[in-house]
Amino acid sequence: METRLLTGNEALALGALHAGVKVVTGYPGTPSTGALASLLAMNPEGVRVEWSTTEKVALEIAAGASWAGQRALCTMKMSGLNVAYDSLISIAYSGCIGGLVVYVADDPGVHAGMAEQDSRGYALMSDLPMLEPASVVEAYRLVQSAFELSEQVGSPVFVRLVAAVANSKASVEVKKPATIPQREAKLVRDITRFTKAGSAICTAQHRGLLARLEKAGQVIGKMGLNQLQLSPSIPQNGERERGGAGRLGIVASGVTASYLEEGFEIAARFGFERDTASLLRVTAVNPFPAEEVRALLRHCSTILVLEELEPYIEEGTYVEAQRMGFAGRIVGKLGGPFERLGEYGVEQVVRGIVAALDLPIPEDLFQGDEATERLAAKRPITVCAGCPHRGTFMAINRAIRKAGYQKDEVMVTGDIGCTILGMNPPFYTIWTEVSMGASVSLAQGYVHGGIQTPVIATIGDSTFFHAGIPGLIDAIQYQVPLTLIILDNGWTSMTGMQVNPGTAEAFQRSGNRRVDIAKLVPALGVEHFFVIDPFDLEGATVTIQRALVLPGVKVVLARQECAIQAMRRGIQAGKVRVVTENCNLCKLCITRTGCPAIGIGEDTVVIDPALCYGCGLCSQVCNREAIVKEPVTWTTT
Amino acid sequence: MDYDLILVGVGGQGVISLSEIVTEVACQQGIPVNFYPIKGMAQRGGFVKAQIRLGRKVTGPNIPQKGAELVIAMERSEALKAVRFIKPGGDFLLFGYVWAPAAVMLGEASYPTLEQVLVQVQEAGGRMYYLDPASLPLYEGTSVPTNIFVLGVAVGHTGLGEVLDPSGVARIVQTRWARGMERNLFAFQAGLEAQPSEGHEVHGG
Repeated sequence: METRLLTGNEALALGALHAGVKVVTGYPGTPSTGALASLLAMNPEGVRVEWSTTEKVALEIAAGASWAGQRALCTMKMSGLNVAYDSLISIAYSGCIGGLVVYVADDPGVHAGMAEQDSRGYALMSDLPMLEPASVVEAYRLVQSAFELSEQVGSPVFVRLVAAVANSKASVEVKKPATIPQREAKLVRDITRFTKAGSAICTAQHRGLLARLEKAGQVIGKMGLNQLQLSPSIPQNGERERGGAGRLGIVASGVTASYLEEGFEIAARFGFERDTASLLRVTAVNPFPAEEVRALLRHCSTILVLEELEPYIEEGTYVEAQRMGFAGRIVGKLGGPFERLGEYGVEQVVRGIVAALDLPIPEDLFQGDEATERLAAKRPITVCAGCPHRGTFMAINRAIRKAGYQKDEVMVTGDIGCTILGMNPPFYTIWTEVSMGASVSLAQGYVHGGIQTPVIATIGDSTFFHAGIPGLIDAIQYQVPLTLIILDNGWTSMTGMQVNPGTAEAFQRSGNRRVDIAKLVPALGVEHFFVIDPFDLEGATVTIQRALVLPGVKVVLARQECAIQAMRRGIQAGKVRVVTENCNLCKLCITRTGCPAIGIGEDTVVIDPALCYGCGLCSQVCNREAIVKEPVTWTTT
Repeated sequence: MDYDLILVGVGGQGVISLSEIVTEVACQQGIPVNFYPIKGMAQRGGFVKAQIRLGRKVTGPNIPQKGAELVIAMERSEALKAVRFIKPGGDFLLFGYVWAPAAVMLGEASYPTLEQVLVQVQEAGGRMYYLDPASLPLYEGTSVPTNIFVLGVAVGHTGLGEVLDPSGVARIVQTRWARGMERNLFAFQAGLEAQPSEGHEVHGG
């Protein structure tokens, strides 16, 4: 046994490693990224770890490994599960051989952007078991249970973490097994199990799926994953008992359970008696823990359900209550007081208890002054100093203007990743963001819808590989007049600089090969293909402007490496300095670039040398020659 | 003993590194700890918040409003986002650096005055420790890392010093980075010995 400081993501990954995982695949996505990233950094011998092109590809690889008898883990954020679901439902029907665990991370409270989706719904929809660790410590342990459960039942198993657990760091007792038994890969030829063509096959598989879920419930029961504690005593206050509010039963799902003890301490100050409350901690959220909930309903007169986002457990509780003729009250989201959005904390535990027991609490118990926060300056995220996307956004804006259009006359669709920051000031270039790859297809819809002005789509390199290519193929086949601008910075940047298929050969792992967008796009049959340097504002503008008036599909590849990555290797694009006697503090450089490296000094703008990459875009917008860019070779000593 | 702290600032100021040092020292002292950073994306210059909960064996990651014994704010405007989390009577350490967003630099958006921030903290019942950003000491002619200096101030002047062993913190500060060992230790010591203005002594501008 060894104690280590780990994040929830790292604990989950290490737990999988200690459970003998052989193949780990995934696609980066906040808040799930850290799990696979930590394994990649460890580079464990005999374990295949990769960032795949998409979550769907990742899941299919993991499923193949499982069907060959090995333990496999597939990681993704909630949006990635949407991408992988097509394969997931089919794999669910076939079941698995080696343990197959699908790790999905949700983001209640939306700290990172995208839909505040509750992925438990996918477990319900696919009839797959789902375990939900309440803490970092549980993440390590429960992923191992998930592999056992998966193999005992023959079913893929979800493990779901929320951002607060995935990104939290805590000390975890880990136990590396003395030896991890190696398995021989085996081919299993079973057409009725691993194909889908034919109603008899599918019906039999569906029956098998339902039977596996039922069996999962039994195995989960034996494993003791859901913990039920019925209260030993009844409340002293007979009044409350008669009012139907006494005998409280609390159902806490996932992370909400970690706030219980703290909430009990606070609620005790207002008359809550801890030993009168019964408690069901739900760790296995699917299948629904019906037996435990029924026991709770028999024992209690009021049920408090604590779960973030959708009221799945609460609805299940209502169903059991109806079947049993339960006459008490259920407190949660459906009848209030809780909302179906945001994170839960101590506050919800206390508020839930006082609502269930009609206890009085001071109104401002947890209520800080939210007006205070509104006094803070708005801080829209913008691209980093030296980011090549800055040049591309500026060139798009200029090209639109030079082509004779107003900004609100030309649709520029956007996509997922750093490139979406073009929606923010000072650029306001991008109008839409839907999902990975959607920019290209949405743009076609605008054209077919009858928009007469040029339509531009923008997408990053990793996003293009992930899901942009099918949309582009569609546009090529039907010769849809649009301009696709691929902002290629060579890395999957927003999630923390992962290698993707287009990353330079030098940074690919030994034996891997780079897929070059500059070769791929022309090979698809794009006749008007251009490569631009985003740090050359004039050249980039002219090329985009030209592309806008050409017929058919035009693709512009804007290529410069992510400045963060380049600067980490000591690279500078140039040396930029302010010519103080020329600067009249007109601030054009700030209004046009929004570069965080430029500040305002006493009489002139100032450039922070620690932040500046030397891209020189500021020097290209200055009309007084007050900022000059010099080649870096002149100044290095 | 339970001790909750919230740290806020802007990406690039070292809020996360500071939090990791606190977490590591606590762990070495055998104090149960949960550290939950919220930092948005990979870009610099965005809002960063970290929550560290010390002392509870089982604990959820989020600190309730009015629950933090200590707030460490490393940027004047971002400090306002932590005010509702300070426990009445808790310590509020503000390093008053101003990292103005572009719209503020251009005069298109407002930015809170120091006075405004001080009033808000006072109304929330926080005990203010204010550090003028100009007080950041120099080591061999250049400024020391802000986050290590602020950590020194927190350990030397707030309740955090009763929870964490200052010599343990100094050890991690020295060994965490391969480079700048003397500089970092100097920054930490300077923080321990700094004189933050307290409560009514702070004059806003």
